[in-house]
Amino acid sequence: MIWWLEAVLVGALGGLVGVQVVLRRLSFFTMALTHATFPGVVAAAILGLNIYLGGAAAGLIVAGAVAVLSRRRGQNTAAVTGVLLSGGFALGVGLVATQDGFGIDLSEFLVGSILTVTGRDVATTAVVLALSAMVLTVLARPLLFTGFDPAAARAAGVNARAVDLTLLVTIELVVVTIVPAVGTVQALALLVAPAAAARLWTDRLALLTPLSMGFGVVSGAAGLAVSTRWNIAAGAAITLSATAILLVSLAATRTRAVRAAPSRQGSPVRQAAASPG
Amino acid sequence: MLRALTELLLLAAICGPVSVFVFARRLSFVADALTHTVFPGVVIGFLFGGASGVFLGALAAGLLTAIGLTLLDRLPSDAATAVLLTSMFAVGVALVSRRTSYTSDLTAFLFGRILTVTMSQIVETAVLGVIVLASLAIGGRAFLFRTFDPAGAAAAGYRVARLDLWLNVIVALVVVAAVRAVGTVLVVALLVVPAAAARLVTARVIPMIVVATALTAGAGYLGLWLSWTASVDHGMRVTSASAVVLLLVAAYLVLLPLPSKGRRRDLVA
Repeated sequence: MIWWLEAVLVGALGGLVGVQVVLRRLSFFTMALTHATFPGVVAAAILGLNIYLGGAAAGLIVAGAVAVLSRRRGQNTAAVTGVLLSGGFALGVGLVATQDGFGIDLSEFLVGSILTVTGRDVATTAVVLALSAMVLTVLARPLLFTGFDPAAARAAGVNARAVDLTLLVTIELVVVTIVPAVGTVQALALLVAPAAAARLWTDRLALLTPLSMGFGVVSGAAGLAVSTRWNIAAGAAITLSATAILLVSLAATRTRAVRAAPSRQGSPVRQAAASPG
Repeated sequence: MLRALTELLLLAAICGPVSVFVFARRLSFVADALTHTVFPGVVIGFLFGGASGVFLGALAAGLLTAIGLTLLDRLPSDAATAVLLTSMFAVGVALVSRRTSYTSDLTAFLFGRILTVTMSQIVETAVLGVIVLASLAIGGRAFLFRTFDPAGAAAAGYRVARLDLWLNVIVALVVVAAVRAVGTVLVVALLVVPAAAARLVTARVIPMIVVATALTAGAGYLGLWLSWTASVDHGMRVTSASAVVLLLVAAYLVLLPLPSKGRRRDLVA
């Protein structure tokens, strides 16, 4: 029953870090990370090294390259991310094709294999969960500051670049941990859907994180239940559970959005902003 | 071999121009999402109509995605794209996973079968290509206007939301035209890398289209030749799709040291 533990842990981890991914619009970057770590994983397996280390190293290169290349005039982050995503993935695929009877199955990488997780994988997930919770707690204030007003944060003496880099490395660590269990595409789902759903329910950061983690845990457990009951790939079932929660949230908060709209217009902040001087 | 080359050159002619708009409107993630969301369409189409159903299924799924992106406007746009991508792909995976040995289907979807591309697939690609290029020629000026001055375009009477939907549909058509022959990995690369590389050479739209198309055609030809000689003469297995993508990315990296083009004000940003 070890995979139940893994599903719950992975869901909590996705929900926790996903809040930052959704608030800072890092979905595409996360997608690129999931694909671009692939050559690292393959190369590490060919060389007989730890595959987590290989994936992490490749992810660091990608994160650095996106940061450097998108600063170039005329290039934009979206395009650079796309270039690295396709290049990295093609490299990984090419590497796999050169090997005979290779231990890492490409489809497994895409779809994940939560039913083959070992105690060591669960322990790794738990450690990464604790680590990211710690980092996000320590950095909560600077993250909030740089996220909403980077210029003011810099002026106030916050090292914005260090904060951003720490966040990217944390996301990368989470991606490298989650992908072997649920697969690349589903890792993206766990990092975006629960947080996006939670964001519909609340504007308060303090509520956002626990809610998002809760949605992640429920998605993981419900998905696994569906998967075993109807013989569907586990990663797909987890993704669809997360999507279902999001759709229900969209429907349920529809009235909330309508009700909130007029009162927001009348809020003192809005009025102050509307009348200059 | 000749058929594979024909298909790749056709795709170069289609993807070169489209990729420039994908670049300017920052639609890389949408393009990437579309390559994943057509998957359930491919599966359902195959279940109901066999090989001929695949095309219609992919087309339906692609159009559905373009519409879905417009409907999910209450989420941040990248989160909406991510959710559509993952959920529709998961539907496809869930459907194939109920069969045993589903992993080979997935692999075919990823890489396509460029070397066994059939004459009818080439015709499909050509027909869709004509439609895509015609709608691009009609909408091109409006797309550019909307890209660089959304407020101005709206004031001039263009329906911005409708233009966005139109461009999304064009990208969807390209993905549908290409995905069965060359697989998802190559399609994303063809829609993103050529324009990003061309932007390093020039900041003007028409030259960008020309450079992007030429780069894609060159990488297509060279990639096929490389994977062919490597596997036939040297016994190394090189996937042709990866060879083409890696050559395109290599071209991008080679062009990087060029001095920045374009004045600060009039960038194709």
